[in-house]
Amino acid sequence: MFPGVDGFHWTFGHIFFLSVFVAVALTILVTLALATLRTARDLRTGKAAGICWHADFGELPEAERRCRHELAGRVEHRTCPNAFDCRSCPDYARFADLAPTVEPRTYGMNYPGDRFYHRGHTWVRPETDGTFAVGLDDMAERIVGKPDTVELPAAGTEIELQGPAWKMSKNRQTIRVRAPLEGTVVATGGAGQGWYLKLRPRGQANLRHLLRGAEVPGWLAGELDRLQLQLTQPDSSPSLADGGILVSGLMDAMPKADWDAALAATFLEP
Amino acid sequence: MTSAATGVVMADRRLQVRGEARSSTARFALWLAPWVLLLALGIYAGGLCLYYGLNQTNMNNRFAFGLWIFLDLGIIALGAGAFFTGFLVYILGRTELKPVLNSAVVLGFICYSGAMAVLMIDVGQPLRAWFTFWHPNVHSMLTEVTFCITCYLLVLTLEYIPVVLRNRQLRKLPPFVVFEHRMHLLMPVLAGIGTLLSFFHQGSLGGLYGVLRGRPFAFRQGFAIWPSTFFLFILSAVAVGPSFLMLVTAAARKLTGRKLVPSNVFPRLGFISGVLLAAYVALKAVDTLIWLNVTSPAVGFAPWEYYAYKPFGTTLLFAEIVVFGLLPAVLLVQGRWLLPGAALACCGILLNRFVLTVQTLALPTLSFDPFLSYTPSWQEVASFGGVVAYGVILYSLSYRYLPLFPQSKEQTHVSGR
Repeated sequence: MFPGVDGFHWTFGHIFFLSVFVAVALTILVTLALATLRTARDLRTGKAAGICWHADFGELPEAERRCRHELAGRVEHRTCPNAFDCRSCPDYARFADLAPTVEPRTYGMNYPGDRFYHRGHTWVRPETDGTFAVGLDDMAERIVGKPDTVELPAAGTEIELQGPAWKMSKNRQTIRVRAPLEGTVVATGGAGQGWYLKLRPRGQANLRHLLRGAEVPGWLAGELDRLQLQLTQPDSSPSLADGGILVSGLMDAMPKADWDAALAATFLEP
Repeated sequence: MTSAATGVVMADRRLQVRGEARSSTARFALWLAPWVLLLALGIYAGGLCLYYGLNQTNMNNRFAFGLWIFLDLGIIALGAGAFFTGFLVYILGRTELKPVLNSAVVLGFICYSGAMAVLMIDVGQPLRAWFTFWHPNVHSMLTEVTFCITCYLLVLTLEYIPVVLRNRQLRKLPPFVVFEHRMHLLMPVLAGIGTLLSFFHQGSLGGLYGVLRGRPFAFRQGFAIWPSTFFLFILSAVAVGPSFLMLVTAAARKLTGRKLVPSNVFPRLGFISGVLLAAYVALKAVDTLIWLNVTSPAVGFAPWEYYAYKPFGTTLLFAEIVVFGLLPAVLLVQGRWLLPGAALACCGILLNRFVLTVQTLALPTLSFDPFLSYTPSWQEVASFGGVVAYGVILYSLSYRYLPLFPQSKEQTHVSGR
């Protein structure tokens, strides 16, 4: 079969078979080598966080990938094609000028208008010194209550948009909070201080990918519906919302609920 | 519960697909236990065959193909769903079949690795496995099969790795996610290579029988160096692959009580399978007529001579072409009885491989030949069972810990189950 080995002859059949076999084997090996080399390049050039986020985004249910303009009622139905990065969305301007149709309400929770909201339940607030404060939004705080542990990145750490910002644990569940903005950590706070991180953005800060105004109530309505469905006991049917307000420390109040799934959906970690 | 048991339960939960309900650890262990026992028995029986040799089987120099080769041909044909689904999704752009792609890859990997394991026992001398590549019999169809199956198992492994890397714990490590992403972008290349390799090894497995001049029951005419069985094997495997994929998915759906794939997937798989099966049945009927009226008489055999030995009567031929061929093709195309149709189609391909393996060797070909009978030894049956158990275990573990059906979360969200 191979030159020099018994039975091989320089005939068309042998050469053809050998060529096809070598071509197939080489293609397989080159494919593997290419994937490995490109992986190494992506890791070296800091593209890993973006790739990981795109992979996770692809696994989110369609209901959780709704475009911000649908949340605000500017369009009837639109699924985000851009992994929530409106900064590079070519269609952003087309919808942004349309009037929102969603009523401004926050379902009894605290969502101040001076902040920008990330769908992983964090907020960003521009500070006067040019930095940006990052904290957990009210819904996440009401769900988690007081975390058992918080692991914050050290000052000087570079964090990437949609990459891990900090970790918390509560009732043996680990929560990885996604970064709503890329930049350098300049200060760390904590649950008691009202903010967790202060970031100095990389270059000119652009917060266009974060939710604000009428988009927030539309998003919150979906999040509350989703949470209610996820926390419904398996053998019971979902019931209509009674207009109540989300209690603080929900994880402690409902220790037997499927928090693994609920936290995965809340913090965009499929 | 002891601390060790608690640790196992916690580890089990940490590995499971996030946000999707799975059975309790104890229930899963109970489900696995009989299969693990069967696998252990299969490994023991295989070990006996490797240690003592093929005298542990009921095969002999006259009946050299038995249960194992039937199993190989059967599972390689059923595993064709892997390459064919990849071909449909990546090459033809039928993205509606993407929800079953991971499952198809795992099934393909199970089928081919299982077939390789059985071949290793059958051929014996695993330490000399490389001889088949370095000193091949260039006149044998099996040489081409060996090369193609080895390469294709490598392709399937490369396709399986990204699915494994989507495990909940592994995906926490960015290098794995990035590698999975990069492999995913190159999947069309692997799908193309997989299609080429599968086309030739499925064909050569059929060609292997078609070139047996000394076995007029199997010998066929054909095109150039390829007998008609070469093409019939490819077409039948491609036709039944989607049916097997559908059956396994339906079984998983039944066992787990979850809606795993969107509702349009089964009808699409069924239609593709049904149309290809109809084409196969038509060609098989033409091939049978040519064989009975031209090929066989030319070598001195009258058609009825093949069917004079019970239990291999004409009923078997009728069952193969009509009951397990034409009927499932109609059921699958019209779409109302998809699962019975898929089950009949899978039985049909197994019957076809059984006929070509066992009936071919059992029938006498020379005037002094007796009608041979063969019953597999317990070692052969146990090895067979071991491969089945291996498949069930690997698929169960993959379902529990890997996103085999990426859209099942969405389906659960929609249906409320």
